[in-house]
Order: sequence, then structure tokens, then C-alpha cells
Amino acid sequence: MEYPKVEFFTTRAKLEAGREQTVDVLIRITPPALSPDPSTRPNWKGRPDLNLSLVLDRSGSMEGEKMVRAREAAMFCVDQMLPSDRLSVVTFDDRIEVLFPSEPVTNKQAMKDLIARVTARGSTALHEAWVRGGLTVSERLLDQGINRVVLITDGLANVGITSTDEIVTQAMGLFQRGVSTSTIGIGADFNEDLLMPMAQSGGGNAWHVVEPDDMQHIFQTELEGLIAQYAHTVSLSLIPADGVRIIDVLNDFDLTETGRYRLPNLQAGSSLEIVAQLKVGAEEIGTQMRLLDLRLGFTPQDAKQAEVLKQAHTVEFASGTVVDNSPVNDEVIKAVQFLMNARARNEAMKRMDAGDYAGAEAVLGTALSSTREACASFAAMPAVMEECASLQDTASSLKDRLKDKMSRKKLAYAAYTRQTGKTD
Amino acid sequence: MAMSVLKEKGRKYVGLPEFARVSGQLVAELQLEQQRGTVTSVPDERTIRYYLAEGLIQTPEERQGTASVFSYLNLLQLLTVKKLQAEHLPIRKIRELVAGKSEQELETLLGVRGPSGKKTEAKRYLESLLASAPSAPPELAAAPPPPQHLDASPASWQRVEIEPGLELHIRSDYSPPATTGKTRSLLERAIHRLRRLRD
Repeated sequence: MEYPKVEFFTTRAKLEAGREQTVDVLIRITPPALSPDPSTRPNWKGRPDLNLSLVLDRSGSMEGEKMVRAREAAMFCVDQMLPSDRLSVVTFDDRIEVLFPSEPVTNKQAMKDLIARVTARGSTALHEAWVRGGLTVSERLLDQGINRVVLITDGLANVGITSTDEIVTQAMGLFQRGVSTSTIGIGADFNEDLLMPMAQSGGGNAWHVVEPDDMQHIFQTELEGLIAQYAHTVSLSLIPADGVRIIDVLNDFDLTETGRYRLPNLQAGSSLEIVAQLKVGAEEIGTQMRLLDLRLGFTPQDAKQAEVLKQAHTVEFASGTVVDNSPVNDEVIKAVQFLMNARARNEAMKRMDAGDYAGAEAVLGTALSSTREACASFAAMPAVMEECASLQDTASSLKDRLKDKMSRKKLAYAAYTRQTGKTD
Repeated sequence: MAMSVLKEKGRKYVGLPEFARVSGQLVAELQLEQQRGTVTSVPDERTIRYYLAEGLIQTPEERQGTASVFSYLNLLQLLTVKKLQAEHLPIRKIRELVAGKSEQELETLLGVRGPSGKKTEAKRYLESLLASAPSAPPELAAAPPPPQHLDASPASWQRVEIEPGLELHIRSDYSPPATTGKTRSLLERAIHRLRRLRD
């Protein structure tokens, strides 16, 4: 089996001798890419089979453009699937209907005809619909393939179980039993504080559709992600050497029950960036030191058993002059700054929730100026320009109170994307 | 690899040397050895005695002559302890995680569970969620009052002041939510409405 590549980077390659210091370590985990020609992969069994349930909100608020787009996206999904895959569709408002149970995707037209008849009505029994969708998947649970519920909603759970904690815990429980959950929130009225944790604990992805037009794009990304999924149940432990202390892991990962960092699923060819801040004691010039031991646990998509990858990072200490004259690694600076910005976004959300809009705007303003300062020498890098534009855009839309619900969602999803370490 | 552990299911190991030999093989096979630190890699008899004293492995009750008879559960306990040690967990935490766990739970912790049990687990779990959820009765859901009827309702209304400027209007034929779940859901809707006012 081909293992992920793990790389360590520090701002400068060597550390300065003779003083205690704080060191940012960028850890980049890159799972092997899917080969464009499957026949060249030794154990290639084709892409994993999919066992999906689309759980589609048809409550009154979906009326109009949103319902049209959601139907189109669901039909698009049907088109993308293979006869070896299974699909079910569950629709919900205050009533829950299994539009069709889990079936092999052989008669695409019949499936699409059924989807075409879904219109908006009623209120939002989100929880029970999710359970029903999960049931259609679990009845046909695949050992090797991907079992997933995709929940599509624009509203708040207001019928049945509505407690966020309860639903999130259940999503995690279901994931531990082999069925993952992705959530797609549409527009400005859904509850991101439910849908994001639900997907995170549920082992899937959280998506926010700003414009109904984005639906199809998100579906495509979700499906490609499913096909390209390299490993799930990913955890990380970092063991510092004697005399080294971990002060912070900037991604703010949740912890597993054994106290390790819970990482998102690994996607073939797509890197995960993690930043750890270490406190390192004074060492002599020329010392070689093993800073950190990394242990990455994961379950490859086509395996039943967990794999463990162990790797250590060793650095050398040099004089201040040598270190100062060595090149700076922009990637480390960028990763640190972007993760700090994710925290700033979360902080801005908290202030918004407390009604402190000026405070929220100030937090984003500070994040923007420190990004400009830190990334000054590579300000033309597209990722940096995008990040600055996004911060500025959200800060200015805060001024317009009507848009605040949308701003909060933008903040939430931008922070989530960064902290789960995904880069393009 | 997982299979070799599961194959041990139901087996007994008479005497410490036999138990140490089998578990040593499995530790090597599952690559649970530690890379650094002071803890012995492969469990020898001394280590196992230490684990027994620390309560990390349950003391076997069965004996043959003077020899203790170790069980599959003991084996799983030992392997789990080695695995968690390799993950640098402190003994105290390991004891918490291992103590009182069933064979099945330990197999899951070790990551050697066969898929056979798992196949229906998700389904059973979801069915239990459905059973405990306060589901809306179908007849109620099937006939939501059309909005135009609400306006034409002849029923009388009671007004309750919550605070100056905020009133609750209750129609005479309204019945309050029957369960705490439904009350909570109602409150959340009210909170949502109030938030919208504030913004």
C-alpha cells in the first residue's frame, strides 16, 4: 500500500542556538494521488462503490429557485452514479417520505422522474429525515465502499428532535457504525451550528451553498471527494522530545477518546496542513535534535484495519547569523496566518452572536491587516489575495445588518475549511 | 493481521509462559511495539505480572493445578494495553479505557473487529434512534391546517404579557406541547423569531 507523504517545515530550516524559542512547525500530509490511468495502480479495484442517501428538504422555505436547483442537483447526482452504486432519496418537511429506497442506479430516468415531482411544502423534520436516510443506507451497508447520507436543507430543525448536541452525537454514533453524513446548507436561514458539527462528527463534509447555482458544483465536489477518499477515521498524535513542549495546535482539532487529534478524512492527492507551535529550549550550535514524533492513524478506504504511520522531525541548531541569512519559508508563514484568521473568524462570530457587530468587524480588520503584514513579501500569491478579499468582504457585509446571517455562515465555513487543513 | 487475533477467540492459555508466548507473537504481528521510551516492547512474564498487579489485565479466576488459565479477554486486554502504550498514553488513562470493557469493545479499540457484526450495527442504531425520538403522529402531520383557515378562525384569543412590548396570543383551542422535546422545539422557534427582531 502506498502511504501518505508527511513533510515538516519550519519558518527557517535551522533553529537559532543559545536561546529558548517558539517554533512554528508546518506539517503537511499528502495522500498519494489517484493515478489518471487506473491500470497502473497495483491494487486498483475501480473506484469505491457508493451507497448514498440524499435527504432533501422540501419545507415551505425551499419554494421557488432553491427547490428547482435542489432537484436539478439531485438529478445531476443520479447522472454521475454508476450501476454498481446504490442511491435512495428521502424528502422531508413535517412529513418524511422515502421517495425511493436504496436501489442500484440502473434506471436513471425513473429515479429522475420521481425527483422531478418533489415540490416545497410544510415545516422541517430534519432529524427524523436524516435517520430515515441513514436507514436506507444501512439496510444495504457496503463493507468496502462508501456509505453516506447527504442532507440538503435550507431551514432549522423544528419538528421532532431539534437539540444540536443530540443530533451531532447521533451523527458521530452513526459514523462509528460505518455510515457517514455530509450536510449542504442552502441560503441564509439554516443552522450552521448544527450542520457543520453534524458533518464533522459524522465523518463527512459540510458545504454552504450561497447561490442556488452553486448546488451542482458542490454536488460534483462531494461526489469527486467520495470517489477520491483515501482514508477515514484519521487521528494524529504529536509527541514532543524531552525539553520540547507543544504550546498550541492552531487547527483547533477535536480530540478522540484516547486524546489524539481527530483529523478529517484524507482525500487522494489533496494535502492537509497542520501547524503546531512548540517551545524549544536553548541548544548549542551544531546540535541535531529530534523535535517531534508524529503518529498518524488512519483506515484506508479499501481496508478494514487501521494503519499507522510514524515519522519524526529532526532539526539542526545554528548561529543567529546563519539562521538570519537563510531563506524564509513562505508556506509556513501563510499556513500560520491563515489558521490565525480562522480563529479570528470564529471570534468574530462569537461577537456577532453577542450583538457586538463593531467588535466583530474590528477582529476581522485586525486579521486583515496582520495578514497583509505577514504575507507582504508574497502578497501576489493567489491564495493570499483570496484570503484578504474574503476577510474584507465579510467585514464590509457586517455593516449591512440585513446580510449578517449570511456573513456568519461565510465566517463559519471559511474557518471550518481552514481548520480542517484542506488546501487546494 | 486482524484475523490472527480473532482466531484466538475462545482459546485458553494455561500458565503464564504460554500466555506470554502467544501474546508476544501477536504484539509483534500487530506491530504494537514501541519505538522509544523505557517500556519493554514484547510482553515478557514479568511485564504481565506487573499488568496484573496494576489491574490492567483482569486476574484469571480459573486455575489448573498451580497455573492460572488466561482467557481471550485477557489476551485482548494485554494487546489493548500494548497498543495504547505505543500511543504514549499514561497508565492511568489506559486503565480507564480497558477496565470493564467487553471482548467486543476491546476488539473495536484494537481495530480488529470483523465486519460481520458491524453490518447490522448501523441499522440497529438508527432504529433505536427512531424508537426514542418524539416523532410527530402521522395523522397530525398528514393534515396541516391550510394557512387560509388560520385567518378565518372564529376561536377566541387570550393575551399574556411576557414583558412590556411582548405578548403571547393563545387561541382557545390551542393545546400546549405534550413532551419536553416539543416544548424545546417551540422555544427554539421563539428564540429564532426574537433574534430576527433584534437584528
